[in-house]
Amino acid sequence: MTMITKRARKSAARLSFSGPLSGLFFVLMVVFILGPLAWLGIRAFAESWTFPNLGPDGWTLRWWSVVLGDETLGRAVQNSLALAALTVLVSACICLPAAYAFARYEFWGRRTFLIGLFALNAFPKMGLYVTIASLFYALNLMGTVMGVLIVHVLGTVVFMTWIPAAAFAAVPRSLEEAARDAGATKLRVFISVTFPLALPGILVAAVMSFLASFDEAQGTYLIGAPDIMTMPTQMYTLVLNYPNQVAAVFSILLAIPSVALLLAAHKHIVGGTLAEGFQIK
Amino acid sequence: MTLAPTRGSKRRAIATPAVARRPLGFFLALPPIILILLFVGFPIVLAFAFSIGLTGGLNHVIASIGLNVHEAENWWGTPAAYIEVLSNSRILRDLSVTVGVTALSTVIVIFLALGIGLFLKLRDGRMARLLSGLAIIPLFIPVVIASWAIVTFYSGDGFVRSVFAQFGVEAPVWAFTMVAVVIGSVWTSLPFAVLMITSGLQAIPNAMIEAARDAGAGFLRIVVSILIPMAFVPILIAVTFTAIGVVGSFTVPYFTGPNAPNMLGVSMSNYFSAFNQPQQSVVMAFIVFVIASGIAAAYVWANFRSAKDQGKV
Repeated sequence: MTMITKRARKSAARLSFSGPLSGLFFVLMVVFILGPLAWLGIRAFAESWTFPNLGPDGWTLRWWSVVLGDETLGRAVQNSLALAALTVLVSACICLPAAYAFARYEFWGRRTFLIGLFALNAFPKMGLYVTIASLFYALNLMGTVMGVLIVHVLGTVVFMTWIPAAAFAAVPRSLEEAARDAGATKLRVFISVTFPLALPGILVAAVMSFLASFDEAQGTYLIGAPDIMTMPTQMYTLVLNYPNQVAAVFSILLAIPSVALLLAAHKHIVGGTLAEGFQIK
Repeated sequence: MTLAPTRGSKRRAIATPAVARRPLGFFLALPPIILILLFVGFPIVLAFAFSIGLTGGLNHVIASIGLNVHEAENWWGTPAAYIEVLSNSRILRDLSVTVGVTALSTVIVIFLALGIGLFLKLRDGRMARLLSGLAIIPLFIPVVIASWAIVTFYSGDGFVRSVFAQFGVEAPVWAFTMVAVVIGSVWTSLPFAVLMITSGLQAIPNAMIEAARDAGAGFLRIVVSILIPMAFVPILIAVTFTAIGVVGSFTVPYFTGPNAPNMLGVSMSNYFSAFNQPQQSVVMAFIVFVIASGIAAAYVWANFRSAKDQGKV
């Protein structure tokens, strides 16, 4: 008797999540998330489009040559890639030692520091850039690479500190101690034990930082435009001045590095490395 | 009992730090802190001084470039700029739109993320895993593209209207309305909330759910009494980050929203660049900051509580 009710309840609990309702939810989510991307993506190869047809009037690769042949757009691509790489590098140099310290040392102000890093996230980005811009005017950093780089690095500090900190903290002490007992120096322990084990977390942080920099539009636009244009800031002008299809081509180009990194780091990001980093300990 | 689930070993590793090497840790942690103090803390202080009319020193340049700057006659400043902004009915409308969009988007995001997380936890299977993978995709799409894609999808000649037109139905145009702003905010905020909430839910031992089922708990009871309380901290983190992200957003409302009223992030930028009224812009930044700080306080409290539950504070 109890077995039957148990099973009945179990299936009742499962039932609430099966059947046509969850199927509908699934389809709606697919349309909601992928629909806009597909709809825009098709445009990159479309001749023209008549409402309310669900497909374009014809296919062409003309828009690709427009984008690839445009010099300013090409420079934006270069700027974006160079800035993102530089940002990750600078951010790693500044933040990774701190991440290690947060994970392994107890020191005066540790908790305040962690919360202080978070405060950076709480101030609205646009408001922050406006306040930074008024400082940059005074320091003559408006429209300079240095100014834009500072803005980009600021956007990565939280990722580069929190996620690797969680990764360093997750390396078992016992392993490090065992290596020490076997006669390894502190440096050797770090290089051979701690760092490799924390590497997935560091990689996720690097990927997130790269994307954050690659994606950064508001601050770059405010500080860098019109002298330093990256791909996202170029999008602002593109969508206003060019036909829709050019923006679509540009969007695909802009999404390529992101998708490549997605495929590379997907396992670790979904595996909880990212989520783990966002809990102050 | 610990409310925050699992990974005890990792936490314990931090709970027993090497106290002996105190100064080294402090100095290693210093560089990002200095960077933030210099380029976030300092500008914020400076901007606050500017917002209350203290236009000397480093604020001199911006005060002389900007129009309509309220200057203080004394050392402690003047609330004139705040009074002007807060009595401007257009900006007040922007403010209420900002709060409304933030609240609505956050509720929808958390609802969807919880749905996906519970789906994955209680049912698993291919569809659930596909769904959670799908929800991560926006994380990798630059917000500029996402906004533009959403505008074209819901525009007058967009997909939604085209599909409805096949059946002779006139669907509403959502592009350049607040509906599109909410859609865009949900779209871009979903991945982080899903990651946070699924990892929180996955950490809850299945044995607990089984035990509750054996004791006669139904689906709703299990969700409300076990899963949500046990994943409370990750859920709250998802709520705060979503709300803070939306309240200060610029790109999504700029691309997908109407000219006016729009969210404060857009008005802020307009006042700074187009209208050249930096002081008003900075005042708006502080208004949004106050809202975001309120949300952030909840996050800090939640983390503190989870640390306390584990007996660390």
